[in-house]
Amino acid sequence: MMEKTILKSSFPQWIKSLQSFKVFIPKRENFGWELSSNNQILEIASDYTYPVVPPKKLIFPQEEIFFEFEQNPDNGIELKEVLPEESPQVIFGVRPCDGRAVEAMDLVFGGSFEDLYYWRRRRQTTLVGLACHQPPSENCFCLSVEGSPYSEDGLDILLTDLGDRYFVKALTEKGEKLLSEAPSLFKEITPKDREEKERVHLEAQGKIKRHLNGARELPEKIKAIFDSNFWDEESSNCLRCGICTYLCPTCHCFDINDETKSLAPLRGRRIRTWDTCQFPDFTMHSSGHNPRPDRASRLRQRLAHKFLYFILLYDRFQCVGCGRCISLCPVGIDIIEVLTRARNHGK
Amino acid sequence: MAAEFEPRIVAFLCKWCSSAGADLAGVSRMEYPPNVIPIQVMCSGSVSPLYVFSALSHGADGVLVSGCHPGDCHYIKGNYYARRRLALVKKLLEYIGLEPQRFQMSWVSATEGVKFSQLIYDLVKELKPLGPQTKFRRNY
Amino acid sequence: MVSLDQLKEEVKKALSSGKVKYFIGYENIGSGWQVRPAFIRQPEDVDRLVWTPACFHNLVRFLHDEKRRRAREKNPDIRPVGLVVKGCDSRSINVLLQEKYIERNDVYIIGVSCELTGVINITKLNQHLNGLKPQKVLFGSKGTFKVIVDDREIEIEAPDILADRCLECPANFPVIADVILGEEIKRNPGNRYQSISAYEKMALDERWSFWQQQFSRCLRCYACRSVCPMCYCDECVADSIAYAVTAETTADEKAQKTRWVERNPELSENIFYHLVRAIHLAGRCVDCGECERVCPVEIPLRLLNKKMEKEAKELFGYEVGFDPAQPPLIACFRDNDPQDFIR
Repeated sequence: MMEKTILKSSFPQWIKSLQSFKVFIPKRENFGWELSSNNQILEIASDYTYPVVPPKKLIFPQEEIFFEFEQNPDNGIELKEVLPEESPQVIFGVRPCDGRAVEAMDLVFGGSFEDLYYWRRRRQTTLVGLACHQPPSENCFCLSVEGSPYSEDGLDILLTDLGDRYFVKALTEKGEKLLSEAPSLFKEITPKDREEKERVHLEAQGKIKRHLNGARELPEKIKAIFDSNFWDEESSNCLRCGICTYLCPTCHCFDINDETKSLAPLRGRRIRTWDTCQFPDFTMHSSGHNPRPDRASRLRQRLAHKFLYFILLYDRFQCVGCGRCISLCPVGIDIIEVLTRARNHGK
Repeated sequence: MAAEFEPRIVAFLCKWCSSAGADLAGVSRMEYPPNVIPIQVMCSGSVSPLYVFSALSHGADGVLVSGCHPGDCHYIKGNYYARRRLALVKKLLEYIGLEPQRFQMSWVSATEGVKFSQLIYDLVKELKPLGPQTKFRRNY
Repeated sequence: MVSLDQLKEEVKKALSSGKVKYFIGYENIGSGWQVRPAFIRQPEDVDRLVWTPACFHNLVRFLHDEKRRRAREKNPDIRPVGLVVKGCDSRSINVLLQEKYIERNDVYIIGVSCELTGVINITKLNQHLNGLKPQKVLFGSKGTFKVIVDDREIEIEAPDILADRCLECPANFPVIADVILGEEIKRNPGNRYQSISAYEKMALDERWSFWQQQFSRCLRCYACRSVCPMCYCDECVADSIAYAVTAETTADEKAQKTRWVERNPELSENIFYHLVRAIHLAGRCVDCGECERVCPVEIPLRLLNKKMEKEAKELFGYEVGFDPAQPPLIACFRDNDPQDFIR
């Protein structure tokens, strides 16, 4: 672990020194912030909140090609493996919640069976976090799900904005390597820097307005009301769109399809794309039977995955409290409210 | 010298008129460029906008829909429906930025072999300078 | 002015008399100013109802759910569903009637007049308030909005923060309803096709580069389709499997399903999806603007639908949603429909 400071005026030089990396920096678009690899941007804007599409898209892209297949003249099928390019990337401006989300995804794609494609990208990714000064959205509730606006989980570096400079904490070897690309830019910290950083962190924590109380009680509660009509009432205005899950930093469900380019000779590829439990076809069986036939069971699935199944498997929440699903839901389904009502249901 | 670009045109031809017109051009030994891939449909009114979009996404450089002249439809009014629907498709494609030459509609009757062969000549001539259609084409 | 008390009274009457099965209106989200669709099942719940300039949602969309529920249930309750509708929403009911998707007595309509205002655009409101956070957004008097910020009241002229679609709205008054609240005040819509004129004037390549940028960021979350009052197909070309599969569907049929659009979110597939949606909404879209509002990456989908609306009007003299007896746009024709584009 290494702690330094860097002047904001030197920040562009640091980014320029990262020649061997593909650098993603938040860029303002008309729809919000986007992580962009456009090389023009050399600093993190002061009013940056968080990217609409979370950083998961750079590690677990919406489309991943597994292999290509082609029928050869003697009617056999030839497979050609396609692997993600070996190109190291750095993502700047990862909010602590999104960093924790990547850590949660590591659990899913790691463990006893490692997902080759995921890890190939993941290992080449350095996440440079940026502690929150202000909650990026009014629906932030990271404190309630064991996170914080300055959480270091999953990140390689955590930056804290101290006005004219950043407090830089390198958390991993990958992070230290990034600092070593331009060692002259980084200064030793003073006790004052540290003090100021602590103050900024605490202040930020106080600014988070929304809370989900008693989240650890939820697994039992969700089990208890699994078959209740509670879910019908809560989901009555759900539209079955994919916003809440596609833009969730931890949702990782996918679909695998063969796409044929030509039938004779057979030629095509197998790809993995994002999929979501909110679409009716997600659980559709080939018999036509759908075990999750209605919106109620799909809403329940989304919440139960985050607050029940994931806890059983990994003893942590799958929700990181970024609030995207609340802010972006077209019909105002609010995960905090729904879970609070779930907790109080039947009381 | 690099070979000249040869556009591929997908033509949806109605069975009763335009397809017969194309046949007539063939049996009369009229010449026309081999750039056209004819697909016989029962009526121009059965050509869904999906067919047009699909042809473009599969890499057609031009799409032609051809049916009977107004009043001559074998099913009485299929071509009138086609005319209305495909007018919207044409406006939409152009609005998105597809060159107007790439989507065309024509009336060719069963006796108009000459018109058909001339039409294909004209289409090929118009499409050649545009080069390959890459806007809607699938990338794999 | 639309009186909220009167609205509550009407809903209460309809619910307590058992005339409607349940009622869909709007309620506040938490203590904030934003609203969401509210399902009111008991007369005593009517106090949840609100009517504010943030009532964007087109509730007609929930009739699809009701129709599907009825199809599933053995002995369905066939009483009508109550809805609050604005002018645009009422026109979408007309389209559903026109297509015989619903019947008139499937729905009990409380129409509200937008009078001289309409619904707001959140981006415009935020720009107007310049960083201040609104606590309440209400209708003011005579074509204004009243925004409460820091316990201070700000009056904003409607056109400053109205949603684009409201600025171009041809019907600020419900065209079909059982009960109408508010006055019918004519409002000059100005140029109904203002928002697309800049794009129509662009050169071809400029237009392409504009749309290419828009479509390439589509995530295919299908929120535009899910929120649309007209997207009720049981099976959409954009879905990779058939929902219409039953136990009787053979393996062959399943395997033969045409996959028009692949699932990958590449430009070609995104364009295909949006083109299909645009053409399928031609002559059906009432410009309620919901698709554009819900899009998380703000693809300007209204521009597509508006273009189709304009062409339908200019080429075929077709207006959407004013007459439930009128045939659908592409299921009718006139002998003299333009054909100068046909060789």
